[in-house]
Amino acid sequence: MAYPYQLGFQDATSPVMEELLHFHDHTLMIVFLISTLVLYLISLMLSTKLTHTNTMDAQEIETIWTVLPAIILIMIALPSLRILYMMDEMNNPLLTVKTMGHQWYWSYEYTDYEELNFDSYMIPTTELKPGELRLLEVDNRLILPMETPIRMLISSEDVLHSWAVPSLGLKTDAIPGRLNQTTLMSLRPGLFYGQCSEICGSNHSFMPIVLEMVPLKSFESWSSSML
Amino acid sequence: PGESGKGKPFKLLGILDVENDPCARDPVLHGSLGSAVAGLGYFLLTSRIRRSCDVGVGGFIVVTLGCWFHCRYNYAKERIQQRIAREGMKNKILYESTSLDPERKQTNSSS
Repeated sequence: MAYPYQLGFQDATSPVMEELLHFHDHTLMIVFLISTLVLYLISLMLSTKLTHTNTMDAQEIETIWTVLPAIILIMIALPSLRILYMMDEMNNPLLTVKTMGHQWYWSYEYTDYEELNFDSYMIPTTELKPGELRLLEVDNRLILPMETPIRMLISSEDVLHSWAVPSLGLKTDAIPGRLNQTTLMSLRPGLFYGQCSEICGSNHSFMPIVLEMVPLKSFESWSSSML
Repeated sequence: PGESGKGKPFKLLGILDVENDPCARDPVLHGSLGSAVAGLGYFLLTSRIRRSCDVGVGGFIVVTLGCWFHCRYNYAKERIQQRIAREGMKNKILYESTSLDPERKQTNSSS
């Protein structure tokens, strides 16, 4: 989960998010080197007394500063495309969960075997127990088995919402009249928090998402207790 | 949470987290050393100040890039090996004493 004044990503919980962190490290180093070069060139230009107004052409430098950026862009694009296609790979989900966005809460439906559905409202700040997280806790968490590919079908009953869980690298728009699909797999148990990521009205900031990833046996006993 | 316990991580130019990014700290350190050596060496040979600064910055970029490529290559190789080892451990536990156990097949073929 996020902590105050955080600037970077949360720790990865899914293989795709691990790849995204890896890619971010790769791209950030390129950005850092380019920024260093540009800052140095700007400082040079600001500190010189020389002027030169007679240049008509400069074939060599123009070739270099055309070819080099193209190479840099290819170095960034290839890993990026690899991850993009990796996100769309077939992974045979074992469970399907539907989530519907409402103003201003999420509802979840497990309809593979029996009908199980519930709403997930944010716990108001005045009702939090000690140790609970403000604006992030919900009354009913989305409980799922860990280390299992899960298909999430996301839609909305009213306006645009977006179902996001940063530590799993997930963000999918909830669009009324449309069913969007994403795949979820957590490598470890725990609680993973997210918030609605598409402006949807006055309480847009107050409809969080909490995933509780548990071992399969615990998930089975929970789901049978709910039916 | 990861970073808040030890305070904010140090970021070069406000963006590059040298404490937590793998393959950020060592290339930057090597690059700084290479920059200092190249710039100082050029100045000692030619006594040209501005050109020495250019050589220093160029040296920083080249050495950092070189170290970074080397580090990323090794890191990627390590990750692949870790993934293979993890799969191997999972499969060993899963298939032990079954017909799919690779160790059993080796024993059968040798006996």
